[in-house]
Amino acid sequence: MRRLPVYLLLDTSGSMRGERIEAVKNGLQVLVSKLRQDPFALESVHISIITFDREVKQLLPLTDLEHLQLPEIIPPESGPTNMGEALLMLCDQIDREIIRSTEEEKGDWRPLLFLMTDGKPSDLAKFREAVPRVKTKNFGAVVACAAGAEAVDSFLKELTDTVVHLDTADSSTLMSFFKWVSASIGTGNKSVGTAEEMVLPPPPAEVHLII
Amino acid sequence: MSKTITVKSQEGKSYQFVDDGSPMQGGMKDVYFAPDRSYVVAFFRDKQDFNSKERLTNIVKNYRERIFNQAGGDYWKDLFCWPYDMVEYNGRTGIVVPTYQKHFFFQTGYNPSGNQISSIRGKEKEGKWFASAQFRSKSFKLHLDKSELGDWFKYFLVCIKISRAVRRMHSAGLAHSDLSYKNVLIDPSSGRAAIIDIDGLVVPGKFAPDVIGTPDFIAPEVMSTKHLGKTDPNRKLPSIATDRHALAVMIYMYLLYRHPLRGGKIHDTDPQKDEELGMGSKALFVEHPTDLSNRPKLNQVKPTHLPWADVNKIPYTICGPYLTDLFNKAFIDGLQNPSARPTADDWESALIKTVDLMQPCQNTMCDQKWFVFANTTKPVCPFCGTPYRGQLPVLNLYYKKPDGQFGLENQRLMVYNNQYLYPWHVNRSIFPNEKLTAEQVKPVGYFVFHGGKWQLINQTLTSLKDVSEDKEIPIGSAVELTEGKKILLSTEAGGRLIIVQLVAN
Repeated sequence: MRRLPVYLLLDTSGSMRGERIEAVKNGLQVLVSKLRQDPFALESVHISIITFDREVKQLLPLTDLEHLQLPEIIPPESGPTNMGEALLMLCDQIDREIIRSTEEEKGDWRPLLFLMTDGKPSDLAKFREAVPRVKTKNFGAVVACAAGAEAVDSFLKELTDTVVHLDTADSSTLMSFFKWVSASIGTGNKSVGTAEEMVLPPPPAEVHLII
Repeated sequence: MSKTITVKSQEGKSYQFVDDGSPMQGGMKDVYFAPDRSYVVAFFRDKQDFNSKERLTNIVKNYRERIFNQAGGDYWKDLFCWPYDMVEYNGRTGIVVPTYQKHFFFQTGYNPSGNQISSIRGKEKEGKWFASAQFRSKSFKLHLDKSELGDWFKYFLVCIKISRAVRRMHSAGLAHSDLSYKNVLIDPSSGRAAIIDIDGLVVPGKFAPDVIGTPDFIAPEVMSTKHLGKTDPNRKLPSIATDRHALAVMIYMYLLYRHPLRGGKIHDTDPQKDEELGMGSKALFVEHPTDLSNRPKLNQVKPTHLPWADVNKIPYTICGPYLTDLFNKAFIDGLQNPSARPTADDWESALIKTVDLMQPCQNTMCDQKWFVFANTTKPVCPFCGTPYRGQLPVLNLYYKKPDGQFGLENQRLMVYNNQYLYPWHVNRSIFPNEKLTAEQVKPVGYFVFHGGKWQLINQTLTSLKDVSEDKEIPIGSAVELTEGKKILLSTEAGGRLIIVQLVAN
């Protein structure tokens, strides 16, 4: 049975403190509990969480839903948003954690990446170094979410064509984003249209999908 | 803020639904409940063109009437969740569908300790829960509670219901086009099933499909031509023939809890391409008798998928001779040759005949509780390995040929204690399906093991006769089942003769 690796890269810089980080934590809970009610996800989905602020940490190594325990997330008072470094760590973890198919053994499905930020990369040089590397990792889908007025779409568009812009980063909007992520992860099990390849479900009303 | 909205159908009927801002989302529709939850209104997110609307109109009217407005039409209300009206609201097209019946929602869901982690109580019993080995494995934390799982006999009943429903659609010239465990709800605790999401159905030559199916159930010819344009003459789209593939896959999965084509063979090191080949042009039955290259590799299988993933331990032949034959036709002969696939009718009759071969396992702890008699002198439960102890009567069925001689039918009835005999055993012109009258669903006799003897008790048969002894068996009396005993069940046309065989252990 192939695994479906899902990487969540979450901005935990100072600006996320307070309501936003609580909304993210809440969103993660909802995401996990929704996936735990989905037989398809329970069979294949594995989740990893990487957070980035001035430090970059893989808080949760790739784990199945059965054993997964959500980590504690505490953003620092202030400091830079090292998104570039987070993407570099992601690439390293992908190399380490993803089982590639061989002639003898079936590997994982193409991994999915969801990145969420309320700002922009502070380490732009590293970000620009990381983007081409990410693109070689054969992701099934890369979705970047820019949450709130200060979030900048343009950098994210260098990373992926699928940028979701949330006008506000309040709890209900972030929650709708996480619900949408859980629906997107489940897409593989839905009916496949006669016309197209993998399609993401429609985003929630508050979200603008920039393609 | 939730508000109740009233909509009117074209014919002026009004319906209400509650909009709380977060409808349930299906693959293509947003679903809203009626205030009393007796129906739902499901709106398509995409704008429906003229053709789609015409199709929907036909589904809620003509096709529906073709199935429901006939003698015995009520029978189908339990087997189909069929939309019965169409509405428009804010430029969106919606269909009105009956709410799923109560037994299609989880009562308990996960096992008690799994329920501490998460809960699916109240969620729909989507078929996938019951088609995967993991959710019945005690080593998987979130396995289903025993009360939800049912026993193996119930899965045969579930498969009969699904086959019957598909047979009915096909005989009305309709193809479901997206049969999968997502679109079939099942209740293994009672052996019931219902087909849902009927709005996509396909009418050959009239309404083309807009989905190619759901992964796991897409027919190989559809998978291998999906890169071609929709109007390309070589493109294969869902049809009655592809429904037959999906039905075969579903039956295999509900009886064996594994996929018939997902084995160890690698077609490409890219997972997407591997999937397309493995489910498409290179599809190969995991239990192909001579080509062993797609056998599951047990060292690569998750422990929670055992023992079901082990095709040597639990081969498909445990489903008995009739189903083995159909699985061969579906996954060997007919895999790439749609016209060779068994029909839904074939599945329904083979499943019904197989039910007559089932024996309760004598091990009260056995999870499956039932097995199919394998026509051996030493019957053993293939699941728990418990051998059958004692005398086992096997009834071979014969029918009266036009020349007055009795010919052997390819059908047997295995006897167990407190088993009932039904009119369709007695008379070969009666089939156990939706056409049975109220009288015909009542048992006519039963079998008991009493005082060290196997006996058939006559309840309502008017012409039961012990041919060996040349003796009538009146209602309320018994006939003992002994080796070689000939019993005529009925003197009416189509009445069967049984010859008893006793397997002793």
